[in-house]
Amino acid sequence: MFWGKSRNIVVALEVGSTKVAAAVGEIRPDGTLALLGIGEAGSGQVRKCEIVDFEVAQGCVRDALAEAELKTDVVIAEVYLAISGAHVRSTNTRVTTLISNDGDEITPDNMQELHDMATAQPLPADHAIVHHLLQHYVLDDGSTTDNPIGLASKQLTAHFHQVYGLATRLQTTIRCVKELSIDVKNYALSSYATAQAVLSRNQKQLGAIVINLGGGISDYIAYQKGAVVHSGVLGVGGDHLTNDIVSGLKVPYAKAEQLKKNEGSVILDPAESEVTLTLPGAYNFEERLIYRASLNTIMQARQAEIFEIILEDLHNAPFWPDFAGTIYITGGASQVKGLIELASQVFPCPVELAHQSPFDGDQNYGRRPDLSTLLGLLQYARQAEMELPPPRGFARVGQSLKRALASMRLI
Amino acid sequence: MIEFTPDGPFSEKADQLFPGRVRVLGLGQTGAAVCDQLVLHGRPAQDLWVFDSDQLTIEGSVVPNRHLLGRNLVHGLGCAGDIGLAREIVALEETLLTPVSRGCDFLILVLGLAGSTGVALAERFIELGHEAGAKVIVVGVQPFAFEGVSRRERSVQAIADLRAEADSVLVLAHDRIAENPATIKNIRHGFHLMHQLMAQTTQALSQVVCKRGLIQLSFADVRSLYGRYAGSEVLENCWAAHVEGDIHDRADDLIAQLMACPLLCDESIWKRVDHAIVAVSGTRDLGLSDVQEMVSLFKERMPVNIPIATSASLDEESHENVRMTVLLAMTAPARMSVPEIAAALEHPAPAKKARPKAETVPLPPVKAKAKPEPIVAEIPPKKAKSNPKPTSPPAPAPVTVETHTVAEEELIPLAAMETEPPAPAPILVPMRPSRRFQAKQEEMSFEGPPRGRFEKTHETMYRGENLDQPTFRRRGLKIRV
Repeated sequence: MFWGKSRNIVVALEVGSTKVAAAVGEIRPDGTLALLGIGEAGSGQVRKCEIVDFEVAQGCVRDALAEAELKTDVVIAEVYLAISGAHVRSTNTRVTTLISNDGDEITPDNMQELHDMATAQPLPADHAIVHHLLQHYVLDDGSTTDNPIGLASKQLTAHFHQVYGLATRLQTTIRCVKELSIDVKNYALSSYATAQAVLSRNQKQLGAIVINLGGGISDYIAYQKGAVVHSGVLGVGGDHLTNDIVSGLKVPYAKAEQLKKNEGSVILDPAESEVTLTLPGAYNFEERLIYRASLNTIMQARQAEIFEIILEDLHNAPFWPDFAGTIYITGGASQVKGLIELASQVFPCPVELAHQSPFDGDQNYGRRPDLSTLLGLLQYARQAEMELPPPRGFARVGQSLKRALASMRLI
Repeated sequence: MIEFTPDGPFSEKADQLFPGRVRVLGLGQTGAAVCDQLVLHGRPAQDLWVFDSDQLTIEGSVVPNRHLLGRNLVHGLGCAGDIGLAREIVALEETLLTPVSRGCDFLILVLGLAGSTGVALAERFIELGHEAGAKVIVVGVQPFAFEGVSRRERSVQAIADLRAEADSVLVLAHDRIAENPATIKNIRHGFHLMHQLMAQTTQALSQVVCKRGLIQLSFADVRSLYGRYAGSEVLENCWAAHVEGDIHDRADDLIAQLMACPLLCDESIWKRVDHAIVAVSGTRDLGLSDVQEMVSLFKERMPVNIPIATSASLDEESHENVRMTVLLAMTAPARMSVPEIAAALEHPAPAKKARPKAETVPLPPVKAKAKPEPIVAEIPPKKAKSNPKPTSPPAPAPVTVETHTVAEEELIPLAAMETEPPAPAPILVPMRPSRRFQAKQEEMSFEGPPRGRFEKTHETMYRGENLDQPTFRRRGLKIRV
């Protein structure tokens, strides 16, 4: 089996605050992606996308990968990892080079030089780069292009969106996977991955903001003219809503989570001010009546605050005055009732619930907004794999050996 | 027959008496822009040179003597803030730089303090200038606060390094014009404004150190005001304003325009300035009475009463115009009652070992009766009775000036500075004695209320609020349980 013709398998892994999930996909010869299956495990000791207890978190990763292997009959040797956390920052940067070729013609070497220059840009202490996302190139006459090769210009400027985070925290997540003898082939910012799942090329071109409301964090990314112009991570998510309910209504965490999912809404209705809910009793917990208005007030205050903070950050970004696109909301915490109405009240532009782009394979997961990052990461992995040259000779033998060893490690 | 030789400030004799060849070097992007301003505003008398490692800056400059440095190393792309790289370039271009520092009496270096090429060049030109026997004055500008911490820290370090070596360092701050309408409208206008001010400062300095005329100041006066700090304890120490008008204009109007200059509009500077140099220049029609009228009007309009040193010179190329430039200085850090705008005091750069300076020249005391609001530590006269032991004002910091300089400096130190008897010292209240705090109840813990699920995580702070705390609680919403 290991020496036969290998399938082009890609695996995406997300270590989230609520769950750890691994998606296995297959890249077909025609370049399309088929989802084979997803393994999930409840996340323990991961808060705001940062690992609090390494061993517990590692156990969750192991469980999720094992479930994915079981479901798909694939031996996982390497993964693409989603990266996020409140420590992640971003900035826009630009680098310029003078063109000294014959006839001032721009060559791939010039573009590589610009990329190298961007990579060498100084970062705050203890931070490491996550992404250098190219926005566009600018020629000496001020015109912009996505592919300047062959054009003539005396100088060439490249605009990049730079994403970076605290090196130690990035390393912790990567180490958590690598210690299971699984390679982290590449990683991507969660919000960037999410956008790959829910935005089409046209939407990116017209202008779009994707807000991914996760359990521990809320991250967002803005596109304009096809390029990433802004991104951010707010260390507040759906868990905060639950935590607020626990604190405000004095109920256990699991009950609060139930209330949030089944009964809560982020829209206040004056007609419901006296409506009560019965919280069924359980072991060590007596049946209780709860005012619906109290539940909704707690949730509305928190969710509105999250949106207001995001809006303020967007307001301060240079792209915002010219933004004429739509805001798309996704993520596990986007399933709360009244979310789109609240978002429409806060944001001065159209707001919609994001829908994942259709894909082949297992369709059970297509309508789950909490998996949009994972499925987007799979798309990112597909794109990255397509750009890589296929392994040949010893590299191919090495890859097969790696798979053979990997098959023994999760038993 | 008796040969008649015309005497006066433009005679050959005067040339021999006052050798003052000034060379202005624009270093880096800011330096080049300032020198461009000098050329564009028709001040060609100065010997201008521009150096930078950025090809666009050099190609865009209108100064005839301009040089691109480090072409082989950085390919005309500049050093991007890498001071090590800039010093490497300077070392490679030694043969080009050495002749430029020779053949002049004063080198005025103009630069942005956050740049790397400018600072590295300034360090080397100071050494070369001193080796050639020239006095070196540095005119630098601190970056805007929004330009980032790294640039600000670089500028603080540059100030400390340059003060250790140069004879005088004039530091202006971009942040003073941050609130200017021109800056708010377009940041490029803000930079342009500052470049103009720096050009006018450079012009005034060159007038003070070498132009002969009606009232003569000297390099000693400049150094006594701007050459007294070492290190970066005090950053901004110079505020400039300039006005230019027809000699037949009313002096009132000119002074009104002067007081409306961007840096003088900021009222907070008047709490810090303690000396001023006023440089007036005009044609032969400019009389002493005109100068006196302008200076006395300026003195009246100033909200504080500080010593003013006046330089008045004749400029044959100024046609019917009269120019007045004011350079305000802060010489005593103890007087400073408002924080530095760049807040860089929190991380003062280590001062380099300063060159030994021998003689101490005391400055005229600062007059105490400040017109506007008193300094923070001063008290109104009503409360003075309740304080039986007023403290004396802080003594001016000692100033050291080299003794081996030309005799002119020793003969006319601060010649035209006013020497009125010092007014009664301001009554200063000592800071409230620190009484030991006696807790009447248990001290509160600094930690906030429990954060529930997020107890073990890093706090998510936003505008001073801990977002891990429930929103309804922070906003005071009432919850019925």
